[in-house]
Amino acid sequence: MSETYNRGTVEDAGRWTEFSAGMWAWIFHKFTGWVLVGYLFTHIAVLSTATASDPAVYNQTLSGLEGLLIVRILEVGLLAVAVFHILNGVRLLLVDLGIGLESQDKSFYASLVLTGAIAVASVPTFLAGAF
Amino acid sequence: MSTDTDADADVEADADTDTGSDAVPQPEVSVHRTRRLEEKEARRTDRAAAEQAAEESLADEETVELKVFRYDPEVEGKEEPRFDTFEVPFHTGMTVLDALIYARDQYDSSLTFRHSCQQAICGSDALFINGSQRLGCKTQLADLNEPIRVEPLPHQEVVKDLVVDMEHFYDQMEAVEPYFDPDDLPDGELEEQRQSRQNRETVKMSTRCIWCGACMSSCNIAAGDNQYLGPAAINKAYRFAMDEREGEDRKQERMEIIEQEHGVWRCQTQFSCTEVCPKDIPLTEHIQALKREAVKNNLKFW
Amino acid sequence: MAEHYTSFDRSGRRWLLQRLTAVFLIGTLAFHFFLLHFVNHAAEIEFAGTQARMGEVGYFSMMVLFLVAATFHGVNGVYNALVNMGIEGTQKRVVGGVLTLAGVLLIVQGVRVAVAMAGVI
Repeated sequence: MSETYNRGTVEDAGRWTEFSAGMWAWIFHKFTGWVLVGYLFTHIAVLSTATASDPAVYNQTLSGLEGLLIVRILEVGLLAVAVFHILNGVRLLLVDLGIGLESQDKSFYASLVLTGAIAVASVPTFLAGAF
Repeated sequence: MSTDTDADADVEADADTDTGSDAVPQPEVSVHRTRRLEEKEARRTDRAAAEQAAEESLADEETVELKVFRYDPEVEGKEEPRFDTFEVPFHTGMTVLDALIYARDQYDSSLTFRHSCQQAICGSDALFINGSQRLGCKTQLADLNEPIRVEPLPHQEVVKDLVVDMEHFYDQMEAVEPYFDPDDLPDGELEEQRQSRQNRETVKMSTRCIWCGACMSSCNIAAGDNQYLGPAAINKAYRFAMDEREGEDRKQERMEIIEQEHGVWRCQTQFSCTEVCPKDIPLTEHIQALKREAVKNNLKFW
Repeated sequence: MAEHYTSFDRSGRRWLLQRLTAVFLIGTLAFHFFLLHFVNHAAEIEFAGTQARMGEVGYFSMMVLFLVAATFHGVNGVYNALVNMGIEGTQKRVVGGVLTLAGVLLIVQGVRVAVAMAGVI
């Protein structure tokens, strides 16, 4: 990587004004991707221990986890992450097919909005009985 | 006036003698002449007054604040990068390049930056202005928020002030063999290699590249992965690969270059290149077209 | 730049597979989420229900395909993110190998879990 002068750390909020829609989309897609991969491995690991012995252990593990409020909240987060990755992924697939390149920034904002909407709409179902 | 009349009278008298026609009455001619001279004198004083007023108003004319990145490893005091502020008088239509030239000529002759044509065709003055890659000669000061921050292109080594090392960019461009190279030449010695209008339309936008480097500087993947060819190089490859005059074999060879791991596949469709290109080339679109070409190519071998 | 790649290494292949698995995953992931959070509430899931679902061959094979696609998509995604960040040379090959191994292990373990869920011990 070429060395350049230090334009200030990325944490300086001022630099974020230089980001464009396409750049944010790429950053978010990467971030949600890492989260989902991490979750995939965790998910299989948890299910492995849950199915290691008899069905009672399976039921206990699941209900035990679902009983924790933090787990319920994290599940909403997981939904948001997955939904964004899917929606932006659809946007990327369309770009790969050469469709909608002129409005690529608008479609990014649309996926953000939709993700928020779906996440909010799913809260009642996800948090039912958690309190 | 009387002197003039006498002189005129002498002249007229001579003319009379030469031509033999009746002389025009002296007073009328001299009155016209006088009037003309008076008007001319009046215009001259008006003009002088106007110029004087303009000069005086220059003192309290609108100025623009320019913050320019300075760096010079050979000069004490500029070894650490810093920003210098210049107040530059503004006139309608002034560009960032105009302002930089003014600052260099009037304030600090050590201010160093590349420029040449001043009309967005040489590609020398790609800079990072107010957070975005633009050509200095094409960016109007009136369109920018003050203070105007002028920095060298990101993700490239700074040589001095606003000058960056372009060698890596040129290396990537050379890597795609950016020259017209047909498989066969036509039979007749003077026969032309013709291109259909449609084919020209296909490659038209991609021929506009001026090698300014703004696109590569804006690409985050080019920043992270040093081996990535970059949008400009892939666009150049597109320009020739899609040119029907080159022939299938040459196209295959070109495709092989850009099909490698650090070729088209590195593009993550961030679109920053398309946004900053000063020649409005739809770079991402061209890269995507090449990805599709590559996939279609490979499918044939299964 | 001009390294020789065998046709198996052609990055174009992985690029295409990433897109194909993506399309498949849109459907299966959405379905998986829907089934296990909206149709059945996650808190109410117990082994009997799981076994009933996984006992069906169609559902079982879809879940296994889901696992394989997700693993490839995820591991390939991680690999590409790292290449974009500039890893090269030995480090790149080592990381590639580790990721491939992790992916294979994940699939193997996932299939074992699936089999256990189907009640076939």
